[in-house]
Amino acid sequence: MKQRSLLQKCLAAPHMVWTVLFIIAPLLFVAYYAFTDSEGAFTFDNILKSLEADYMVIFFRSISLAIIATFICLIIAYPMAYAISRAKPSAQKIIIMLVMLPMWMNFLIRTYSWMSILEDTGFINQLLIKLGLEPVHMINTSGAVVLGMVYNFLPYMILPIYTVMVKIDRRLVEAAHDLGCNSFGVMTKVIFPLSISGVVSGVTMVFVPSISTFYISQKLGGGNFDLIGDTIERQFQTAYNYNLGAAISLILMVLIIISMAIMNKFSDEDGGMVV
Amino acid sequence: MTESNAGRIIELKNIRKSFDGETVLDGINLDIHDKEFVTFLGPSGCGKTTTLRIIAGFETPDFGEVFFDGAKINDLPPYKRQVNTVFQKYALFPHLNVYENVAFGLRLGKKLKEEEISRRVKDMLRMVNLSGFERRNVESLSGGQQQRVAIARALINHPRVLLLDEPLGALDLKLRKDMQNELKNIQMQTGITFIYVTHDQEEALSMSDVIVVMNEGVIQQIGTPTDIYNEPVNAFVADFIGESNILDGVMLEDYKAKFSNQTFDCLDKGFAKGEAVDIVVRPEDVDVVPVEKGMLSGIVTSVTFKGVHYEIIVDIGGFKWMIQTTDFVAQDEHIGLYIEPDAIHVMKKSKYSDQFGDYSSFSDELDELSVNTEEE
Ligand SMILES: Nc1ncnc2c1ncn2[C@@H]1O[C@H](COP(=O)(O)OP(=O)(O)OP(=O)(O)O)[C@@H](O)[C@H]1O
Ligand SMILES: [Mg+2]
Repeated sequence: MKQRSLLQKCLAAPHMVWTVLFIIAPLLFVAYYAFTDSEGAFTFDNILKSLEADYMVIFFRSISLAIIATFICLIIAYPMAYAISRAKPSAQKIIIMLVMLPMWMNFLIRTYSWMSILEDTGFINQLLIKLGLEPVHMINTSGAVVLGMVYNFLPYMILPIYTVMVKIDRRLVEAAHDLGCNSFGVMTKVIFPLSISGVVSGVTMVFVPSISTFYISQKLGGGNFDLIGDTIERQFQTAYNYNLGAAISLILMVLIIISMAIMNKFSDEDGGMVV
Repeated sequence: MTESNAGRIIELKNIRKSFDGETVLDGINLDIHDKEFVTFLGPSGCGKTTTLRIIAGFETPDFGEVFFDGAKINDLPPYKRQVNTVFQKYALFPHLNVYENVAFGLRLGKKLKEEEISRRVKDMLRMVNLSGFERRNVESLSGGQQQRVAIARALINHPRVLLLDEPLGALDLKLRKDMQNELKNIQMQTGITFIYVTHDQEEALSMSDVIVVMNEGVIQQIGTPTDIYNEPVNAFVADFIGESNILDGVMLEDYKAKFSNQTFDCLDKGFAKGEAVDIVVRPEDVDVVPVEKGMLSGIVTSVTFKGVHYEIIVDIGGFKWMIQTTDFVAQDEHIGLYIEPDAIHVMKKSKYSDQFGDYSSFSDELDELSVNTEEE
């Protein structure tokens, strides 16, 4: 039965339409704008311009902040996901709901709240002053931007790792203990290799929005830490240079594709390999 | 090692365990001797796995003590025990190939040279007939092959005791028989004490040095396969191991028992005069004779051909006996039965006495049904 039946083709049609309309067409638009000038003539100028030093600094900043935020998320999420997966099933449900709870609140409200917490006269500093300590400058630093990313994207790291971890057969852990592993050995030789795929999706799901975010950096970085997202937004919203904006977007996309390819390669090797 | 535990590698003393207020093990006392092949046999849920997990260290008893070589090991974590386990569904590491699964235990603790590891893994794979499978992904192996990897993995550290929890449960009948022989050979070659869990009585009878029959968290009987088969201590054991006709009887005096309104000579003694007892007669121990020569007589109500013998049900005064005979008898035939004194086994009454009746509900269909549910 190699031939797809007519019915099957018909059933696939809505999906095809959807894909063409909302994924392929926009991509073609982006590519079109990136390779044309304001007159509509073909040009490489936009691409070349987005590779200039000014923009490279921003690219580099975006990448480094995204890597730092992803790494911090991983460090926090991994042990958390492990602990949740070991909890009683009834407790697991509640904890997972708590993890997702902030996601039910609007992204803007969450970021505004962090502003008022971190401000020089914000919640933390008022507390410090009450305790008779020196206030600390936090808002408008790169640390604040990273904090915003970690806070907003942490659930995307916890959930995939947790999902993989609950599926790890308890008897594999027992088998490892049985063969002479202490708890640390079980972690490094069984749990970690078996949870790599969760880590890979978590890293992807945090890294991609972190590298392309534009709101967090404006509100918590105070405009001092422009990221690629901000730059693209500005091209479309204030500079009305759609062509440059599209070119930068295209480069960002290529960057993301490359980093995802690296992650996947990493997971393939580690998944099937000897520890 | 003191005099009192000579030869005993594992001792369980009055072990109790309950889960959520439900008593699962109710005072288990058991000595296991070095190099023995010991089988835990009992129906589903009787506590076999729990007992095994207590020996392995995955569960701690609520009460009672576990000794290994005379030393109490209640609080010793599993990875420090000289005991390895072959898990019911193998529990092989899916991220490692066959070689690395087997080598797992060797890579822990003191560092060995890679050549030494390779030599030992290869030896082990040869023993379980898996040479050449080193690089294979464990998930691509058949059930029998996975089973062998699990055994090799558990044996590589030369444990003193190997625990096997229904290791052949998932295999088909033919493979099961082959693996039974192989396991027995491995046990004799290595001299490792095997503690084997099964609810298949045939498997238990053919492989074990010692069988421990359990029910409802209590050990019913400990003995060699012949002891257990020929001298069951109560109606539960008699019914669980093999087929048996279990009748109400009275011990008139030593060597004289009365059942089915007849008095029989037997080899049992030591009961009170007139004590009510349970009588066991195995179906293969009854001879079919002409009515006039029989000690008992009855009507054949069903005949089933089993290959080697016929299995017939005979109604004797309302009690349905099962009898295995190589002579053909016809349905509705009136036949006599002859029972030798050594075919009669007398047991004390127990709480199981009333639970096992005759074969009146017996039919082949039912038999198959019960076999199927057992295999689940
Ligand atoms: N971790 C647990 N939590 C709660 N109940 C348990 C647990 N482990 C076992 N039990 C219960 O204890 C009883 C004995 O279980 P066990 O696994 O020892 O039986 P078993 O003799 O191995 O049975 P089977 O032949 O079906 O494997 C069962 O009623 C089971 O439901
Ligand atoms: Mg079990």
